[in-house]
Amino acid sequence: MSHLDEGTLHALLDGELELSEVKEIQIHLGICAACDSRLQDVKQFLAEADRLVGALEAPAGSSRTRPEPEPRPADTIPPRNPPPWESAPELLLPDPLEKTDRRIASRVFKWAAVILVVFGAERLIQGALQPDKPRLELSSRDLTRPAPPPAVVSQQETGRPESAVTRQVRPAQAARAPLAKAAPERKAAGDQPAPAAAAALDELDTAGAAAKDSEVAVPDTQTLATGRADSGAEQNTESQDLATRMAAAAALEELDRERLRSRANAATASLPPPRAELPPAAEPAPAPRTLEQRAQVYLRIGLDEAVTQLGRPVHVIEALSPEFIGLTPGRLVPGADPNRPVVRVVYLERGRMIMLDQQRLRTGQAPGAAAGSLRWTQGDVMLYLHGEPSADVLRNLQRRVR
Amino acid sequence: MTADLTQLFELYYESLVRMLYRRTGDRDRAEDLAQETFARAVAAPPNNPRPWLFAVALNLVREDGRRALRQGRRLELLRSDDRPPQGPEADLERNERSAAVRSALATLGERDREALLLKAEGFNYEEIAATLGLSKGAVGTTLARARRRLVEAYRSEARGKHVAS
Repeated sequence: MSHLDEGTLHALLDGELELSEVKEIQIHLGICAACDSRLQDVKQFLAEADRLVGALEAPAGSSRTRPEPEPRPADTIPPRNPPPWESAPELLLPDPLEKTDRRIASRVFKWAAVILVVFGAERLIQGALQPDKPRLELSSRDLTRPAPPPAVVSQQETGRPESAVTRQVRPAQAARAPLAKAAPERKAAGDQPAPAAAAALDELDTAGAAAKDSEVAVPDTQTLATGRADSGAEQNTESQDLATRMAAAAALEELDRERLRSRANAATASLPPPRAELPPAAEPAPAPRTLEQRAQVYLRIGLDEAVTQLGRPVHVIEALSPEFIGLTPGRLVPGADPNRPVVRVVYLERGRMIMLDQQRLRTGQAPGAAAGSLRWTQGDVMLYLHGEPSADVLRNLQRRVR
Repeated sequence: MTADLTQLFELYYESLVRMLYRRTGDRDRAEDLAQETFARAVAAPPNNPRPWLFAVALNLVREDGRRALRQGRRLELLRSDDRPPQGPEADLERNERSAAVRSALATLGERDREALLLKAEGFNYEEIAATLGLSKGAVGTTLARARRRLVEAYRSEARGKHVAS
């Protein structure tokens, strides 16, 4: 880009350039010290010139004219658009302090979530291992879910002696059995898993909050599970622990689903009822008819053909140019022989259609023309002038038919 | 005067008189010329009123100036304002400054001066171009030249006064 001329700089300062031009100039000013320096000069000249012209103040009032009205907005000089570089550029970087705070908050939430899960699992495990304590009621869907295929087959099926693995898996199935047994009872009580799940959530929250408040170092899940297995080694096997954990996980999953469902219900409750089905779309407008269709012409013909049809020269309206000439059925034209076509000369005057029909009369044919009517005879040709303009307009045109 | 012209009068009369006053330095003439401009607007209502009114007014100023020259009349550049006095020193200072600016303005070419005065009335480049019969692209150059010359003429006048005193 070459150096900026003074006129461009003034236009720039007057806010008269397009945004794209302004951007180009800004780029150039960023790399061209000479133009930047000139811009500063131009700014000074412009400001001083405005000040000088403004010093020639208009008179406050006149002794000869009406008192001066209050200045109107239209009379005041609109402020000049401030050039874009006079305002400080917007800093688009994020606030570093805010970012740090967000990171710390995110870390705290992660730890809180871990604490909640760990303590919640512990409570659930305790509930499963101690039959005298009330147990978490689970959804019938989870409890009646088909059990995964057994990892081993029974001794009766194989006929082989029971292995150690089989012995470990059995108690897990046994632990699931009372839960499955409890399910029909809960279903009979109204199948309301949400309150029970909410109660479980409350328990989890309480435990999590207590842990957070006391700032106890939280053991990881694996350690906790191991400790639990050691403490209950007399009565339970590890497989029981596994089954209980699966049940707890299923309960938590159901709880999440219930909470999502209740939130969705609450959100949609305030919405207006769904609209009735919209009526079917209106029939599409018929395509605009062609000029021939509007004129009821079934065949366009040339002037020669029209002369042949009439056996005479075709009559036309003086000083009007026909759009086309065509043939229309005689039955559509009053007074015409219905068995022969009528030559129709079609005009379009300011969008309005004018038609001059003509048919050669045969012996005995009476068109029924009357004085002052728009249907008349000229020689042995019946003429009929009609169309969209008013009758007065047509009568004026009638005088120009040659 | 029709309702439209009444509205035009209310919208543009003050602005027109202010521009004419700056151009002629004579308040009575400015008002006469503004009245004459609106009288012509009554005779032939304009389509684009703002540029039309100012273009007619500037034409009238030019005609009036030529007539005055023929009649040997001189423009009255140092006419005092009718504003309430603010003390002799303030009035003297204002009058001197006003005279210096008028003198500087008089050194400008006619088109430059008119472009400057129209810009001072809030005209954008397109309107200035329409009023003065310029292309829009030429308005920036015209204004640049006008502003520079006005400031330089005013500064040289001020320097001359300092030297003289």
